[in-house]
Formats: sequence, C-alpha cells, structure tokens
Amino acid sequence: MTKKQEIEIREALRQAIDEEMTHDDKVLVMGEEVAEYNGAYKVTKGLLDKWGPKRIIDTPISENGFTGLAIGAAMCGLRPIVEFMSFNFSFVAADQLISTACKQHYMSGGRFNVPIVFRGPNGAAAQVSCQHSHCVESIYGTFPGWYIIAPSNAYDAKGLLKSAIRANCPVLFLENELDYGKKMEIPTHDYTIPIGKAKVVREGKHITLVSYSRMLKNCLEAADEMAKRGIEVEVIDLRTIKPLDIGTVTESVKRTHFCVLVEEGHLFAGICAELGFQVMEHCLDYLDAPIVRVCQRETPMPYSKPMEYATLPNKERIIEALENIRKG
Amino acid sequence: MNKPQYHYYQSDTDKLLSEINNDALIADLKKMLLIRNFETRAESAYQQGKIGGFYHAYTGQEAIQTAAMRVMGDQNWWTTTYRCHALALLLGVTPNEAMAELYGKVTGNAKGRGGSMHFYHEKMLGGFGIVGGHIPVAAGAAFALNYLGQENLASICFLGDGAVAQGAFHETLNLASLWDLPCIFVVENNHWGMGTAVSRAISLEPIAESMAPAYKMKSYTLDGMDYFNCYAGFKEIYEEVKKTKRPVIVEVITERFKGHSVSDPGLYRSKEDLKKEMERDPIFLLKNTLILNNCLTEDKFKEYDKEQREIVIQSMKFAEESPFPDPATLEEGVLEE
Repeated sequence: MTKKQEIEIREALRQAIDEEMTHDDKVLVMGEEVAEYNGAYKVTKGLLDKWGPKRIIDTPISENGFTGLAIGAAMCGLRPIVEFMSFNFSFVAADQLISTACKQHYMSGGRFNVPIVFRGPNGAAAQVSCQHSHCVESIYGTFPGWYIIAPSNAYDAKGLLKSAIRANCPVLFLENELDYGKKMEIPTHDYTIPIGKAKVVREGKHITLVSYSRMLKNCLEAADEMAKRGIEVEVIDLRTIKPLDIGTVTESVKRTHFCVLVEEGHLFAGICAELGFQVMEHCLDYLDAPIVRVCQRETPMPYSKPMEYATLPNKERIIEALENIRKG
Repeated sequence: MNKPQYHYYQSDTDKLLSEINNDALIADLKKMLLIRNFETRAESAYQQGKIGGFYHAYTGQEAIQTAAMRVMGDQNWWTTTYRCHALALLLGVTPNEAMAELYGKVTGNAKGRGGSMHFYHEKMLGGFGIVGGHIPVAAGAAFALNYLGQENLASICFLGDGAVAQGAFHETLNLASLWDLPCIFVVENNHWGMGTAVSRAISLEPIAESMAPAYKMKSYTLDGMDYFNCYAGFKEIYEEVKKTKRPVIVEVITERFKGHSVSDPGLYRSKEDLKKEMERDPIFLLKNTLILNNCLTEDKFKEYDKEQREIVIQSMKFAEESPFPDPATLEEGVLEE
C-alpha cells in the first residue's frame, strides 16, 4: 500500500526541489530571500541549512540581473530554479524572459538549451492592490518556447515541479500565495506528473467547467451548489496552460454540450479567449449555447475588499454563469 | 566638446614584436582581413537584396576581438552584441556557415533562424539583439564556471558604449562584483550609440575608469585601433582575472567606419572627421608596423588580402547555392523536449 503524507502546497514544492537537488547537483535555487530568510512564503525553508549557500542563493533585488544571469548559467550547463518573490516582479525581467529565455533554443538553431524553472506566486493575494495582483499567464503565454504550469493542489504541484526541473527548456511555474497553506494527502514516494495533461477532477454530464490554479476551488464549490439544484457539472483542471491539453476539454464538451471557462486573469485576450476559441474550432457542432467566460473584470485590482472580490471570478459569478448558459 | 581624459594602458610595441610569434601576427592580420572582407562583401550582398533584416558591420573595430581571442583563447565563454560576425569568425565559425546564415539558408550558423544579429559557437552564447540584454547572460556563464569549479577561465562580454546607459549593465556589475565572478566586461566605445554621441548619452566619461571603482572593480582603457595595445592589455587583464577571480571593466576606444547599421548613412558625423579617424585603420596600423619590422611586405599583404577576399567570395557562392530551410521544418526546435 502506498504510504501517504498530509502536507501543504509549500511543503510539496519544497520536497520537489529537495528531491531534484538530490538527483542532480546542477540544480540550484536563486532568488530574493530564498536562503537566509527561508523564503518570503517559506517554500525554501530549511534548504540553505541542508544544501549551503553554493546552491541556495540569495540575490539582491535585481530581477533583470539575476534572471539574465540564471539564463546564462542554464546555457552553460546548470539547471537553475529562479524564484520570483511574486510574478509581478518578473515584469522587471521581461526582456530576459521574452527576448532570451524562450527564444535562445530556436534562435541558435538548436545549439543552446535553457533548462530553467521560473517559479513563484501569481495572481491576486489578499488585498495587495493594483501592482501586486497580476496574472501573467496570458502575457507570457503568447510567446512560443516554454511551458507554463499552474497547479491547484499539493499532489500536482510536487509532481509537476519535478517534471519542470527535469525539462530541457524554460518553464514558468505559477503558484498562488493564498494556496501555499492548502493541505492534501499525497504519496511519500518519488513521483512525477507529465507536463501538458489536464485532469477531470469532478465528473458531470450537464456542463463542462474549465479552470486552473486557485480558481479551481471556486469552480468546485459552484459545482457542489449546482448539484443541489440538480445540475451535474464536470470540472476540469488544466494544470498545464502551455501546452494546452485541449483534447481533455473537447472530449468533455462533446458530451455535455455546454462550456463555461473560468480564469483569474483579465477577460481581454486571456487564456479563456484562447481556450474558448479552440473549443469552438473543435466542438462547434456540439455546442448548444455560446461558450461563457468568467474572468477578472477589466479593471486594475482595487484594494478595497468587496471591490477585489467583485472583480475576481467568485463562486456567485460562476454559479450565475452556470445557471444562465442552460437558459439560452 | 571636451574629450575625456583617458589613462591608456601602456604597451611597448617593439617589445611585443619580439615576444609574439610572427606566425601568430600574420594569422591575426589575416583574420582581420577576413573580417573586413566579410563585412564589405556581405554589405554589398545586402544592397543586392541577398541579405535582409538589420546588418551591423564590425569594420574599424577588428583589432579588439582579434587580439582578445589571441590572448584569451576559445576555451572561455564569449558573448557579444548584434555586431557579432567577427567574434563568430574568430572562434572558428566558417565563412561559409556565417554567410549562409546571412542569406537565410539552412546551412547557416543557426540554420537560418538567427540571422545577422544571432551568431553562435560552442563557446559563444550569442549574438544578442537587445542593447544590454546579453550582459547578465554573460555573467551567468562566469557564474557557471565558478559553480562547476572550472578554473583559469573567464567569461568575456563585449558591449557598446550605448549599453552603458542600460540598467542591465549596472545590475550585472553589482552582481559580478558581489559574487566574485570571473567576467571581463569590454565596452567597445565607438563614440556613437546609433546616431547619438556618447557624450549626449552617458553622464560619466571615461566610462570604465569612472564606473569601475563604484563597483570595487579594476578598470583598463585600451586603444582599440592598435592591435598591440589590445594584445598587451587583454593579456594582463586575463591574467589578472584568473588570479583574482574578480570582474574587470575594460573600455576600448575605437571607431566604427560604417554607419550603425547598413541603413544608416551616418549624417550625424562629418566626412572629414571620419576620414581622419580612418587614418588610424587598425589593419593598416598593424600592416605598417609589420612592414617596418620586416615581418611583412606590401606584396605579401596584397596577397593575403586577395586570399581572404577569395574565401569570402567563395562563401557567397556557397550561401547562394545552399537551399533555404524547408518551411515544413518551421515549427521544429521551438522547445527542447
């Protein structure tokens, strides 16, 4: 029988890093406050004590500098894991990410690889306002040349991070500040989860509901509520945004004939815009109603609590979408 | 306009002539001629529509990277800007694969995917198109040398005077100094960031001498038109970096004889000024020194020039006859699986 452990997402991420550092001495961690402070969100807690300052490296507040430096190190044989204290700060390093990390393999005719993981919290937290609440996946997702992963639970977080560290190309690994303490029972043994596979996390025959990362919780709560009203909602966790596992989504939509998409990021040109278009391409004849999106409204993130709640896709907004789609 | 007060590295050409193997000097003269002929011919191919995109020639700056490669060697990591053809050729990228890349052919250095600004070699991380963007990447190579315990090597990063205004430059200097990275930052000051004079863009001159102390680094200023000064300077700098394992900033005063790119007629500087600068053409300075010291004759020089020109013409034939990449392969190699 598989041995189990109940752990938080931050611990699952830490185990993934620790195990991969054990497997491969080229793996190192670099970022702001990752070492002596034990991580701004304690993902790297204890790793400095175990691995020392050669492999667990505190950086100055210098994202453009250390991101580029880590990319160069990756091109020269290392496998860095770069922690952004928040993906909001990755914008300061956008040139390194966009112009170098995801281009270098193709641009060099395959001569250089960039095996690197950029990880950290993405999206809104608790009232951190306009500049600290961005969802970066649709911005970076428009560029080919990397994987984008956004797990919603400890099991996926561990297995997918291990795959990300082993990948030979850049990976953006999006976590969530509010979910770091979320617990789950996962195996104690070493396992990986393949990148690029979505998962049906709740079966249902009436409506397909697709999301990822922190919004999945809202979707599951909405599905519970809908079940009480006699509507069985099938919930899919994308887990990987790029490459997108459209097959798992379309297989479901072809059975349910209704599709609601939920994204924490903005409506305009978001991940759901892409996902919805692909559903249309594959399932047009199966759809009994237009696809509905529940996304962040077209505002910067307001500070005030009820305002923040209202602009994000919350349980009520998702239930409303699920109710309306079948009314036509 | 006041010229900055540089403190040039002092070298003794006569002494160097007795130290450096004559074959090495002739080989380097030939390399400089190869670079000059390559840039000249490729620019004419550009005018004929054989080459597209941007094209930035290294013409006038040849002595710098030629001397640096001679004294430091191809075991180090090398990184440069979009003005990258010379560095690739010096590392041993063949004129054929270099020219084929410019022609966008599948036989090119990056299979026709990089073009003029993105040349590579096993030890050359690029050819980077964003001003300053490559500087932290080069520091990453130095970081990897330290991490992997690869002693007696360095990462050499060329950048232009224009990149000195970029944040990436200063972030990298801070990191390189903080972490004792064996990195040599070579600012090739050709006086112009595209069409903006360096004095209108950079608040401190000399660049290296003013800025290095702020980052606890040593600085050097070299005469980029003088092969021997570059040779002696880079030799000492390389030994210094290997010994101290500390980064240094080198400012090399040079002159690009062409516009910023092929599409720049250079209207911001007078023909007289350029003509005066071209009197210090690094190839002719090296040639004259060698002739004066009976290491070379005018006829031999002409022969070498013709030989390199023929190699370049041959590379154009190779590029012309090479196939374009098959569009069916367009999406291959986006991700290393």
